[in-house]
Amino acid sequence: MPESQAGVLDATARRELAREISRLARASAQSVLRAAPVPMVPPARRIGFTGPPGVGKSTLVGKLVERRAAQGVSVGVLAIDPASPYSKGAILGDRIRMDQASGDPRVFMRSVSSRDSQDGMCNNVADILCAMEAHHFDELVLETVGVGQAEHAVKALVDTVVLLMQPETGDAIQALKAGILEVADIIVVSKSDLHGAPKMREVLASTVRFGAQRAVGWTVPVLGVSVETGKGLDELEAALTAHAAWVAANRTAAETQARRACYRVQDLVLRRLDDQLSALSPADYERPVAELYQRVLEGLRQT
Amino acid sequence: MNKPHTELAEPNQPSLKTPSGIEAPEVATADMVHPEGIGAPGEYPFTRGIFDNGYRGRLWTFRQYSGFGSAEETNERYKFLINQGQTGLSVALDLPTQCGYDPTDPMASSEVGKVGVPIATLADAEILFDGLDLAKLSTSFTINGTAAIIYAMYLAVADKRGIPRAKLTGTIQNDILKEYVARGTWIFPVRPSMRLIADSVMYSNEQTPRFNPISIAGAHVRDAGCTAVEEMAYTLANAFAYVDELVRRGGDPNAFAKRLSFFFYVHMDFFEEICKFRAARRYWAKQLKARYGVTDDKALMFRFGVVCGGSSLTAEQPYNNIVRVGIENMAAVFGGAQSIFTCAFDEAFQIPTETSAEIALRTQQIVAYESGISRTVDPLGGSYYVEWLTDRMEEEMEKVMAEIDEYGGTVQAIEDGYLQMRIARRALERKLDTDKGDRVVVGVNHFRHEEERNELGEVFRMNPEAVKTVVERYHHVKATRDNAAVERTLAALAAAAATDDVNLMPLLVDCCHAYATVGEMVDTLKREWGEFEEPVRL
Amino acid sequence: MSLAGKRILIAKPGLDGHDVGAKIIALALRDAGAEVIYTGLRKSPQYIARVAVEEDVDAVGLSILSGSHVDLVRDTVRHLREAQGGNIKIFVGGTIPQEDVEPLMTSGAAGVFNASQRIEDVVAEVGRLLDDA
Repeated sequence: MPESQAGVLDATARRELAREISRLARASAQSVLRAAPVPMVPPARRIGFTGPPGVGKSTLVGKLVERRAAQGVSVGVLAIDPASPYSKGAILGDRIRMDQASGDPRVFMRSVSSRDSQDGMCNNVADILCAMEAHHFDELVLETVGVGQAEHAVKALVDTVVLLMQPETGDAIQALKAGILEVADIIVVSKSDLHGAPKMREVLASTVRFGAQRAVGWTVPVLGVSVETGKGLDELEAALTAHAAWVAANRTAAETQARRACYRVQDLVLRRLDDQLSALSPADYERPVAELYQRVLEGLRQT
Repeated sequence: MNKPHTELAEPNQPSLKTPSGIEAPEVATADMVHPEGIGAPGEYPFTRGIFDNGYRGRLWTFRQYSGFGSAEETNERYKFLINQGQTGLSVALDLPTQCGYDPTDPMASSEVGKVGVPIATLADAEILFDGLDLAKLSTSFTINGTAAIIYAMYLAVADKRGIPRAKLTGTIQNDILKEYVARGTWIFPVRPSMRLIADSVMYSNEQTPRFNPISIAGAHVRDAGCTAVEEMAYTLANAFAYVDELVRRGGDPNAFAKRLSFFFYVHMDFFEEICKFRAARRYWAKQLKARYGVTDDKALMFRFGVVCGGSSLTAEQPYNNIVRVGIENMAAVFGGAQSIFTCAFDEAFQIPTETSAEIALRTQQIVAYESGISRTVDPLGGSYYVEWLTDRMEEEMEKVMAEIDEYGGTVQAIEDGYLQMRIARRALERKLDTDKGDRVVVGVNHFRHEEERNELGEVFRMNPEAVKTVVERYHHVKATRDNAAVERTLAALAAAAATDDVNLMPLLVDCCHAYATVGEMVDTLKREWGEFEEPVRL
Repeated sequence: MSLAGKRILIAKPGLDGHDVGAKIIALALRDAGAEVIYTGLRKSPQYIARVAVEEDVDAVGLSILSGSHVDLVRDTVRHLREAQGGNIKIFVGGTIPQEDVEPLMTSGAAGVFNASQRIEDVVAEVGRLLDDA
């Protein structure tokens, strides 16, 4: 990729983007709806990384971003961490594992808490990604903890989903049960120097061979990566490039746009619905269901 | 700022549980004691100490920690301490030296000479030990990430002065595992670091047979907030990891185990502290025998040094610390320590002054020569309570070690940040207990005056000229040394580091003789091995 | 005391490796509802300032036990200003002699804490200073 100044932020732009992300992460559904529409900019290449906690996502993202930046690619990273269910506070610990990359001028890195969101994303994540795109990064990376719904949200928001799994855990079985494998464009078995990694790769590869992706003509690669030794990183980059080419050939911009717009609408409606439901008191639930249904629908209409 | 908190009521009564959570009996009775008996001092499994004559043959070493500013200033302080009757040197190194940065490195800025003396090249080491008889003095270095390099420096100084290596005595801490967990002066990833340790231990066994090439330390995890049980368990788990590595590299445990030593903190719970040493000493001997087939009695002996003070000292009412250190000093003696360091009462908030350092040393002399507690070997042996608590401590240590084993061993637990997380959580627990007043700290959460302030007479201040001296010498060495020799020795080091089976120690000694800097040696190894990536889990 | 919605960076500048105090504070602030980012060890003031700005934090807590607090705080303040984060509050914790508190406040710290203060008092003080903003 040619070296350019696109996505290389000066102090002012960095500060502005950081504040804009905070504002969006806190914005209510109504305020988003009332805000002026986000201006369209040429979309960045978007890559999502997801997988269970402790699998090494941040370390891998950090290493990959470091490599991309060294090649002259500007990258914006959004890492979403779960909040404590007790205090709603959070330790946003991803950043430290991306340390090598996060001092590079071509990199912008931000952690946000998933707060109370249902799908493991943060509020208005679609808008946040657009706000980042407005700064013309070559690539955007979205990192999320895999908690059921998150994978499907990631699928809607990015071009390529990389799913990470660790050998010698129940990850693979869990993933099969939850149907998570279906959303993956690339599967990475992390800590591939661990015992059990080759076997896990084999199992995964034979499973995805018959998966949904196959139907659309993309064969999901199952790669082993060890961040410590750097083994497998070249293969991962090659797979990302191959998938980008596949996306360019097989998905139209309009399709992508539609999918993201769909996620945004769904997200806003679900949050409004949540607000309406939590406004109901125990006494309300003694009313007939049909009446409650009407009340919630009316509530949704009042924007 | 620094608002004192409101006065707490007087505590109702002292806690009935030990700080490690062991429920203490109201009265200990004969039936609570180990039925197999406790053995004799100097006999396996050494519950009662490693020497049959206790401290009659030899008193413990009084070892005071010092080092600051430049090599010149520290050398002067050493000479002062030796004149005061100190029998061993303890070298504190500054953070750039400990983390492998030269004094001119941007990472080192503002830290040169701050918490210890800088050693950047052999020139600093030569000045540091100038006029000191290295064949007679035992020298202990608190150094870990760059331990092999500083040990090489010490050998190079001895070589240049014509002192036979075999005469050198002393200790390098050289315990990297606890650096990842609690002290933070790691440099390389865990596995190559283990190799560097194995190399230095094996080389030392051969070249400096009277030198302790590793001192496996629980002190820092303890100071970070662990219980006494965890302190011993984590340390023993690390020790077994080193033994495994040495055995894997062909070391004979009957030989190298003779030179393994340990290092702990003594905090305030008197009997728990005494019993943790008795328990660990016994457990170590039993495990070396069972797991590694060690048969030589000398190799089964658990030898340890201690620090009295650490985080048990308070900045509030600092003179209370003199009493604390006195009690801890006695616990260390009852526990059978080989070497004792007593903190100065002002150590909680500053570099000790000459007066406070002297009181610390005097405390040891009073315990040693006035109290009479070292007259009879293991005078508490056979006490129902002490023997019962020793057994309980051993059981609890085994439980904690089993948890680490279950996780996948100590190296895995460290690489994943699991052990670090356990310690941070325990530290928070301990802090909250102190805040609530459940854990009594006199002068801090109970028995304090309103608006208390520290009334301290002397505050030691760094000499700003010292840093200048260090940097000037560094530039001078680089300008006048034989650069071809430096490049040659560093290249040999790099080549050996790329393999797994060449001992790096002789190559490091060559680098030191060529006046290569600590930063150059570390950077050479970093290029081969990379750097540790800190896992953070909270 | 609730710090809900506040973002705080806990950082270890310099080479000092004693991180348990920093971790305790990070956990306590999280338990009070804040979103906490912890940098890990050995970070330069410049790096800390950049993270503080990118993460749009309300405050940076610096934990320093090596005695280099005066230099490290001054440098962090300077880099924060350069990164347009001059409005981000700075707190300092560690082994800080009483006589250094005043110079630290003058060079831009909003609060200086020591290990013997109660955690709840520290959290409350952080909350108070952030509410003033």
